[in-house]
Amino acid sequence: MTTPTTVAVLGLGNVLLGDDGVGPFVIEMLRAGYALPDSVSVTDVGTPGLGLPAYLSESDAVILVDAVCASGEPGELRLYRRQEIDDVPLKPRVSPHDPAVQEALFLVDLAGCGPGELLLVGIIPEQTAVGAGLSKPVRRACQPAIDAVLRELVRLGVPAVPRRAMDAPHIWWASA
Amino acid sequence: MPRVTIDPITRIEGHLRIDAVVDGGQVQKAWASCSMWRGIETILLGRDPREAWLFTQRFCGVCTTVHAIASVRAVEDALAMEIPLNAQYIRNLILIAHGLHDHIVHFYHLSALDWVDVTTIPKADPVKTAAVGESLSEWPGNSDKEMRAVQGKVVGLVESGQLGIFANGYWGHPAMKLSPEVNLLALAHYLQALEFQRKANQIVGILGGKTPHIQNVAVGGVMNAINLNSLATLNMDRIYMMKDLFDQVIPFVQQVYFPDACAIAGFYPEWFDIGAGVQNYLAVPDLPTDPGSATFDLPGGTIFAGNLATVRAIGGSRDDYFRKGVVEDVTHAWYKGRGGQHPWKGVTDPDYTDFQDDGKYSWVKAPRFEGKPMQVGPLSNILVGYALEHELTKKWTDLALARVSAIAQRPITIDKMQSTMGRYLARAIRCAVLSELAVRQWQLLVNNVGKGDTSTFRAPNFSKEVEGVGLHEAPRGTLSHWIVVKDGKIANYQAVVPTTWNASPRDEQETPGPYEAALLKNPVADPEKPLELLRTVHSFDPCMACACHTLDVEGRAIATVKVL
Repeated sequence: MTTPTTVAVLGLGNVLLGDDGVGPFVIEMLRAGYALPDSVSVTDVGTPGLGLPAYLSESDAVILVDAVCASGEPGELRLYRRQEIDDVPLKPRVSPHDPAVQEALFLVDLAGCGPGELLLVGIIPEQTAVGAGLSKPVRRACQPAIDAVLRELVRLGVPAVPRRAMDAPHIWWASA
Repeated sequence: MPRVTIDPITRIEGHLRIDAVVDGGQVQKAWASCSMWRGIETILLGRDPREAWLFTQRFCGVCTTVHAIASVRAVEDALAMEIPLNAQYIRNLILIAHGLHDHIVHFYHLSALDWVDVTTIPKADPVKTAAVGESLSEWPGNSDKEMRAVQGKVVGLVESGQLGIFANGYWGHPAMKLSPEVNLLALAHYLQALEFQRKANQIVGILGGKTPHIQNVAVGGVMNAINLNSLATLNMDRIYMMKDLFDQVIPFVQQVYFPDACAIAGFYPEWFDIGAGVQNYLAVPDLPTDPGSATFDLPGGTIFAGNLATVRAIGGSRDDYFRKGVVEDVTHAWYKGRGGQHPWKGVTDPDYTDFQDDGKYSWVKAPRFEGKPMQVGPLSNILVGYALEHELTKKWTDLALARVSAIAQRPITIDKMQSTMGRYLARAIRCAVLSELAVRQWQLLVNNVGKGDTSTFRAPNFSKEVEGVGLHEAPRGTLSHWIVVKDGKIANYQAVVPTTWNASPRDEQETPGPYEAALLKNPVADPEKPLELLRTVHSFDPCMACACHTLDVEGRAIATVKVL
C-alpha cells in the first residue's frame, strides 16, 4: 500500500475584518462537520505574511481558502491552480503584510520543499471593514467552498467523511 | 524639485506610503503615511477582558503571539496580579522563539534583496564562495557543493525567464556593491533560513498548542498543564523536543545570520553614516523572571539626543516613568482634534481629509514620550542595554563591531550604530542575545518544574474599575496595550504598536517621526529607482498592523462558481 497523500488545508484571512475572515470560517466549519484522514491537516493561518512558507512546505498538496479580489458578485467562488496564481504580476514588498502567497510558493519551490499540487478556493467578499462576522452572500458561499475542498480531497484520494452529528463550529470571533 | 512617492496600495490593502522631496541626489523632506484605517481596537469595547487576547492576537497576522501576551499582561497589570513562575517562563520562551523567527525572516526574506543582487549570481565561483563562507563561520552549510546547487537554481530561473519574486528587484543599481560570491552565499542562506524559520515556529507550536494563533495564554498565567509523566500535557518529551529545536535554530542565528549581518554591514560601511533620524530611544524591559514582573532578563529604558550617558532605566509596567510618559498626538493624523492624549483617555474618532502636506496625512497617530518622538526597535534595545551594561548585549555588540570593523577596514564604533545600517546590525545582535536567553529561560523552566512546582495559572478577580498597561519588547520594538475595565467589561483599549512610534507623522510641534527624520539627507541616485529609500525604511522593519490582504487575482480564475 502506498503512503496516503499529505494535504494541508489552509484558511487565510483576518477574522476581525468582515468577509476577509471567510478562510478561517470555512476551516472551522470543515473541522466541525467532517472527519478527516490523518494525512489531512486543516489550519486557520490568519494572515501570516512571510510566515506562510512554514505551512506550505510539509505536504504533497495544499488547498488554500481565501477571500479574493476579482470581478463578480460577492459570494461567488473562483478556483485557481498554480499557473493562474503565478501569472499575477508581483508588486514591490514594503511591509510583511503584503500578500505573500505567490512569494511563499516561489520560495518553497526554490528551496525544493514546495507542494506538488495546489488549489486556491477563492470567495469574492462583500465588505472587509473592521467587524467580526461574514456578510450574507459570503456566509452562503461557505458550503459551496467546503464542497470544493471536499471534491479536491476526493481527487487526491484522501476523502473526508461527514460527521453523523456535526459539532458546533468554533466561530469564537462572531459571538457578541 | 522631484517628489518620489512609494505607495504600494492595492485595491483594499492600505499600507505605508512614503513621500520624499529629492534635490541634489538627497531627500530634503519626507512624509510617512499609513493609508489604511486602523480602528480595530473598537471591536473590543464591551467585551470580557479575559477574552481580549483572542482578538488582539488577530490585530496582526505576523506578530500574533506578541499581541496575545501584551494583552493578558495589560489585564494582569490592571489587577496588580502575580502569576506563577512557570507561566512567565513559558510565555518568555514563546516570545523568544517568535523573536528568533521574526528577525530571521526580516533579514533574509524582507530586506536582503535590497543589498544582494541576485542577477550577478551566475557569475559567481562556487569554490571561492565556499571559501568566503568558511572565513565567516564554521557553519556546515557553506560547502562548494551547496553553493553550486543554489547557483544552478538561479541559473535555471534566469534561463527560463521565470524570475518570480526576483523579477522586480533594483538589479544592477549603482548602490549594489557585493561581489557575485557574497551574493551567492547570501542567497544560499536565504533559502536555508526557511527551514530554521519553520523550526522556530514549531517551538511556538509546542508551547502554544497551535500556530500561528496560540491557544495557551490566559489572564493569570498559561493553560499548559505540566505533568512530566502525562502524554497530554507539557511533559519531559515535549520539553526536550523544544530544546532540540532550539539547539538547531541557535547555531543558525549565531553561525549564519549574525556573521552575515556583520559581513553585509562591513561591505556597506557608508550606511553607518546615513539615516540616524530621531536619536531618542525607547525600550521596555522584558522576559520577567519573578511572579510580579519586577525583575527581567532584558533591560529597558530611554536615551535622549543620541547620548548614551542620558540612559534612564524603566522598571516595568508599574513604573510611572513609562506609565505616565506616553501620549498619542493626532495633530497630523486623520482623527478629530489636535494635540495628545494619554492612551487610557485615547479616542479613535476618524476625520479623513485626503493627504495634506501641512495638515493631516496619516492614519497612524503620533506617540510621544515626555513630549518627544522616540525610535523603538532592536537598535533602541541594544543602545539601552549597552548603556546599562547588560552583559549579553555588551558581549554581542562588541563582537559585532569588531567583525564589522575588520571587514570594513575602518573602526565602526557604538556611536555609528545610530544609522540605517546600525538598525540592521542591531537586529542581528538582539537575535543573538535572544538565542542565549532561550537556553537560560529553558533551564529556568526545567529547574522550577524539577523543584516540584507545576502551577501555571491563578484565577483573576475583577474589581469595579481598573486600568492597566501590558508591555512587551517585541521584535519591532516597544509594544504597549492600554486597557480600562469597568464592571468586568472593557471600557477602553488602545494598542500603541512599535510601528506607530517609528512611522508616526509630525506632532503638534511639527517634529517629524523616526521614518521621516531618518530619510532626511538619504541619498537617491535615481528617483525612478529609489532603492536607497527602501533600505532606510526597511531598516525599521515596518509592520503596519493592518492585516487585510485579499489576494488580487483579477481575471485569472480557472473556474467560476456562482452561488445563488
